[in-house]
Amino acid sequence: MTCAGNVSMCEPDATPQAGRPARPPFIHIGAVHKAFAARQGGELTVLDSIDLDIAENEFVSLIGRSGCGKTTLLNIIAGLDAATSGRIAIGDRPVTGPGQGQGVVFQQHALFPWLTALGNVSFGFRKAGLSREDRRERSLELLRLVGLEAAANKYPREMSGGMQQRISIARALALDPQILLMDEPFGALDELTRIELQQELLRIWQARRKTVVFVTHSIDEALMLSDRVVLLAPNPGRIKRIFEVPMPRPRSRTERAFNALYDEIWSELSS
Amino acid sequence: MSARLARAASSLVVIAVLLAAWELAVGYGLLKAYQFPPPSKIARGFVELSLTGFPTGVSLWTHTGVTIWRVLQGYVAAILLAVPLGLLIGALPVLDKLSAPLIVFCRSVATLSLLPLVIVWFGAGELTKVVLIGYGCFWTMLSNVIAGVRYVDPVLVRAARSFGLQGPELYREVVLPAALPRIFAGARMALGVGFMVIVGAEMIGTIQGLGALIMEARTFYRSEITIVGMLVIGLLGFLISSGLAGLERLLMPWAGNLDQVRR
Amino acid sequence: MSASTLRSNDLTLGVIGTLAVIGFWEAAVRTGLIDPSVFPSPSLAIAAAAERLTARQLGENLSWSLARVFSGFVLGALAGVVVGVLAGWYRRFGLVVSPLVELLRPIPPLAWIPLAIIWFGLGEPSKFFIIFLGAFFPVVTAAYQGMRGVDPMLLRAGQTMGLSGVPLLLRVAIPAAAPDLATGLRIGWGLSFGVLVAAELIAADRGLGYMIIAERNAGGSVGVIIVGILLIGALNLLTDAAIGVAIRHWVGRWHGI
Repeated sequence: MTCAGNVSMCEPDATPQAGRPARPPFIHIGAVHKAFAARQGGELTVLDSIDLDIAENEFVSLIGRSGCGKTTLLNIIAGLDAATSGRIAIGDRPVTGPGQGQGVVFQQHALFPWLTALGNVSFGFRKAGLSREDRRERSLELLRLVGLEAAANKYPREMSGGMQQRISIARALALDPQILLMDEPFGALDELTRIELQQELLRIWQARRKTVVFVTHSIDEALMLSDRVVLLAPNPGRIKRIFEVPMPRPRSRTERAFNALYDEIWSELSS
Repeated sequence: MSARLARAASSLVVIAVLLAAWELAVGYGLLKAYQFPPPSKIARGFVELSLTGFPTGVSLWTHTGVTIWRVLQGYVAAILLAVPLGLLIGALPVLDKLSAPLIVFCRSVATLSLLPLVIVWFGAGELTKVVLIGYGCFWTMLSNVIAGVRYVDPVLVRAARSFGLQGPELYREVVLPAALPRIFAGARMALGVGFMVIVGAEMIGTIQGLGALIMEARTFYRSEITIVGMLVIGLLGFLISSGLAGLERLLMPWAGNLDQVRR
Repeated sequence: MSASTLRSNDLTLGVIGTLAVIGFWEAAVRTGLIDPSVFPSPSLAIAAAAERLTARQLGENLSWSLARVFSGFVLGALAGVVVGVLAGWYRRFGLVVSPLVELLRPIPPLAWIPLAIIWFGLGEPSKFFIIFLGAFFPVVTAAYQGMRGVDPMLLRAGQTMGLSGVPLLLRVAIPAAAPDLATGLRIGWGLSFGVLVAAELIAADRGLGYMIIAERNAGGSVGVIIVGILLIGALNLLTDAAIGVAIRHWVGRWHGI
């Protein structure tokens, strides 16, 4: 058995039915179903009866093979996509669109290429009703937070991938969102930059108290960052299993519990 | 940098050698001078053309000015019409779908084939040439503007929507700037089309303009004048397209090397 | 609603839009909004064309035009591919050829008409030459750039499998440059076609371009001119679409156009 040691994810409650954290739910996803028109006529079910509750300040990762609907689920929470049926709420309010406290960090190349770093971050403030100076000041502050104050006047094409994603995070934070939705934000980065940005993200998450939903392909990344890892399976996209990650942060990749959990997620993914 | 310099130098050498060979070949009677006027004769033609003019009184600069003025009128009119219309069609998918086949067809119509019709309508004067240039530029520009706004990277649109932008605001703040590179490329292509069209249009029913110049010179077996005219046309096209490329870099410093992006 | 019905809806909308414009045109003439002698309606134009042109005349002009554009394009494109590929592959040849191409490329093909007449007279060869140039320049440029842009990694991969010299060129470099070649060919076709019409307008005694300019010079029917223009446009559209299909068949599977 991979359940070496005495870790809580081996308890029988680590199953899809247990999609309920101990704390009261903040994001509520109930029986969400999403279908697209298929190319050859008929329907393609992308998400099938998804139930998931996420607590305030929780860090949850969505992991699964391509086509399991994790990005679609993220877009539905973001209000960028509508579910075909089901309930989805943040706090007490049903999600009807973006701008309900969700900030989104996309995969690479989602910065506006015609705006500088400062311009991109400042774009996030556009609905905040601030004066020009305030916008600038607050944007610079966010650039400082991600350590890129010096790059304020650079255009995206003049920045490395890692810098671009830091700017993306700063831009999403400009909304002062309660929820940070991240769609494989570090997927295209090299390993070293990636680890650096993971640490940075944790620091921001802890400093700013955000609820994070994080889509990733990497088991390692999910385990380093999350409180819970939600494993989705494709055809149709559904929650296969939810893993609690009990290790205290900062975590180490060489810990026994880490490796045990890694093996367990991998065997679940490949079964 | 030095590699580029070496390349430029070798290009000059190649061209110089070729010109010398040409000159010699005519000198030794291997090529007929009236078919292949040697460089020296072309140079004399250039001097004559810029001082006396051909036909006498109409100098090279007049021809060039006339051609540029014609292209400019048609081009500017086409841009002024195509940009707003393209932005409108691109904003409304239904309109785009309704008009798509028609636009493709109108773009396929060979601009110069309209010449007989336009002559019937507007006579053989200036307006005819301007209309032809306008037609060619218009459809090229229109289809590029529409494509520019229709095929904006969806990730950028989603990013903007995640900040609560929608409708006209989304269009103005994100779709429009994202479409700019394509719109500029269209403007450059349209100018190329304009130059193609003007040369053909000037070959019929006029004695002014570079197209008329090269055709007239042929009638009088002045091939060296024809060649000077061709070179000026080429130079003009080259200067204008590099000027536009420079303008693009100036106006859109964020876009980087556009040709590279598109490849 | 499935994606395929979506696509057929797009097509329906396109047909509706086109029919609406044609209908509007027809109605504007019928109601006297437009003078039919200046701008006849589609039905009048077709009627006039049917009256003044025999099917044989039309067929002859059409086949002359097609024969010219095909022969000029095929040879021009062939020459463009050969020169462009060699210039991109053999550095020294490229150093000699590319300045010449760069020098002549900005000259629009139509500007060669007078010189072509001086060199080849008023007959078929001068028209062939112009159309040849129309195809040659876009293709040679695309082929050269395509060859220069081949990923060196692919060449090294080919070399590790024992290829070098001409086999490496034929089996790795040219296929890798194929998408650029395809684009160049398509642009070249469009240009050849435009040049064909112009050449036939300016100096020819048969062909579709000649047909319409002769009609206007004889003070004939505007309807015939309009039918001729639309026919030329349709021909251009159809052949371009055919080339597009061929290209997709050729490189579309792996290049994704």
